Amino acid sequence: MVANPILYIALPLFTAFLVPLLAKLWKPLVRIVPGLVLAYLAIMSVVLMQQVSPEKPIIAMIAGWKAPWGINLVFTSFSGFIASLISILAFFIWLYSFGFKKVEFDDAQKYFILFMLLTAGSIGVVLTGDIFNMFVFIEITSLSAYALTAFYKGRDGAEAAFKFLLIGSFSSIMLLLGIAILYTYTGTLNMAHLALLMPQVPMHAKITSFLLFFVALGIEAEMFPLNGWAPDAYSQAPGPIAASFAGILAKAGIYALIRVSYTIFDLGDHGGFELLLVMGLITMVVSELVAMRQENLRRMLAYSSMGQMGLIMIAFGLGTKEGIYAGLFIMFNHAVIKSLLFLASAYLVYYTSRKKISDLDGFGKLLPLTSLLFGLGAFAIVGLPPFSGFWSKLSLLIATANSHMEFVLATVLAVSVIEIIYYFRVLGRLYFRKAHKEIKVRKPTWNSVVTMIVLALVIIAVGVHPDFITGLLHNAATDLADKADYIQKIIPDLFSQTLN
Amino acid sequence: MNQILTYSVYGSAILVMLIGIYAVLTKKNLIKIVIGLSIMDSGFNLLLVALGYIKGGTAPIFSPAVAGKDVLMVDPVPQALVLTAIVIGFGVTAVALSLVIRLYRKHNTIKIDEIKTLKW
Repeated sequence: MVANPILYIALPLFTAFLVPLLAKLWKPLVRIVPGLVLAYLAIMSVVLMQQVSPEKPIIAMIAGWKAPWGINLVFTSFSGFIASLISILAFFIWLYSFGFKKVEFDDAQKYFILFMLLTAGSIGVVLTGDIFNMFVFIEITSLSAYALTAFYKGRDGAEAAFKFLLIGSFSSIMLLLGIAILYTYTGTLNMAHLALLMPQVPMHAKITSFLLFFVALGIEAEMFPLNGWAPDAYSQAPGPIAASFAGILAKAGIYALIRVSYTIFDLGDHGGFELLLVMGLITMVVSELVAMRQENLRRMLAYSSMGQMGLIMIAFGLGTKEGIYAGLFIMFNHAVIKSLLFLASAYLVYYTSRKKISDLDGFGKLLPLTSLLFGLGAFAIVGLPPFSGFWSKLSLLIATANSHMEFVLATVLAVSVIEIIYYFRVLGRLYFRKAHKEIKVRKPTWNSVVTMIVLALVIIAVGVHPDFITGLLHNAATDLADKADYIQKIIPDLFSQTLN
Repeated sequence: MNQILTYSVYGSAILVMLIGIYAVLTKKNLIKIVIGLSIMDSGFNLLLVALGYIKGGTAPIFSPAVAGKDVLMVDPVPQALVLTAIVIGFGVTAVALSLVIRLYRKHNTIKIDEIKTLKW
């Protein structure tokens, strides 16, 4: 089988533009072909992850130009892990949405085009080794996200999407300004080369451009107070898209934020990590407190998702290898568990117009399997054993304790209690209330049941036997922590020149 | 004199950006907000082209006329970036305008303060 990082971007992009032509041949192809492509990418991820190691990253040149002149794609243990996570999750979200609601043919066509663009863009952000190229992929991702938010004409999607677009435009301008500042001082756009030349950049320029990057990428990574778009976008977008915002879009955003703060800038010891830690802490506390007051199930899940992003920022803000490991573990869990929660909740609130939690009384009997899977997701996300969420939270607590941040540790534990309260409030309604009379429920289709069960099995499997992924996480953490190695692997000539 | 000229080039680019930001933040009309976004983009593009300028440089095109001669050229990278940024800006503006059309059909208004189904 042909396995090359370039295919991650080329195949979904090509498919996205092929879909309208396929529709002319045979209409069901519009739904089938994206799935085949995503399945190929998912299998390719498994193949590539076996080849890659921290010593041997896979580097693909585009158009035959060597770095730092050309654009290169870098599949390391770290970026490869996130790219694989995104592509495998994208396949399952396709499987779920394959028969999700009998939408009109035109709408299905648009849906799959935009979904393929979202996937291609997000994987591009993760794999690219060029900072301007990253900007382009972020824009591809955001543009398709705006359009997907406004997908349903009946809801208030357009309003949420416009809000998202306004914030996103500011983000892109700030990102470009940050890139322009770096370019004037170093004359390069390659990330490894930028990291190599970073000591030459004067401190004031470095801090200005770091802050511009931080704010711009913080918007994508749902950092407080820049995450005003998220609850609206999550609640107005179609169910599987809300899942992919949590599992794909936010993952690409946080990856970019981490790549910029760890690899490109050397401000980690000058307050860069502390900034990440403090912002993560604020994000987590505020989002979880707001989540507790939500009456709309989707909005509650959205705020909980932001809380998890805060947790990830805290983990990476510790700046230790243990912290990176914990952060990656939470990223993995958040992608899997939050997707399961969003996918299950889409059926729970299917016929309720206002998606309220109080409409869910007695659904445990009406939709036994979906409720059970939702409950399993809720148990996992608050970090109860024997589910995977327990191990990620535990590794974060150990990492904070080893960095002697008792205050952070106490806050994380206190916030976990809040999380338990609002998730169990939903579960209480599902199982311990009498159902309203004559309530309409939608039975899940077979493909969505398969998707949700697979995600649930992953949660249980990793919970019972975490060694399934700890090896991958360790490799990824080692890879991210060693910055000099990253530079050396990508631009060996320039790196040795600087040493001499 | 030269210094003033240099700064006025950068300054005017930043001024255009500020005008755009002003429009986005203060205008109530959705179309005007989209125009503001577009002006903001243009300001940034001007700034980037100005950054790549080298005094007395010609267009960065490698042709037989300049081959082997010692000719100063302006930096081609910012120009390539601006081309990309223009295309992206165009895409964003198009999506924004289509969203405005959708909002107008639903709410029969393009005043931002009259559309508050979701909390702004």
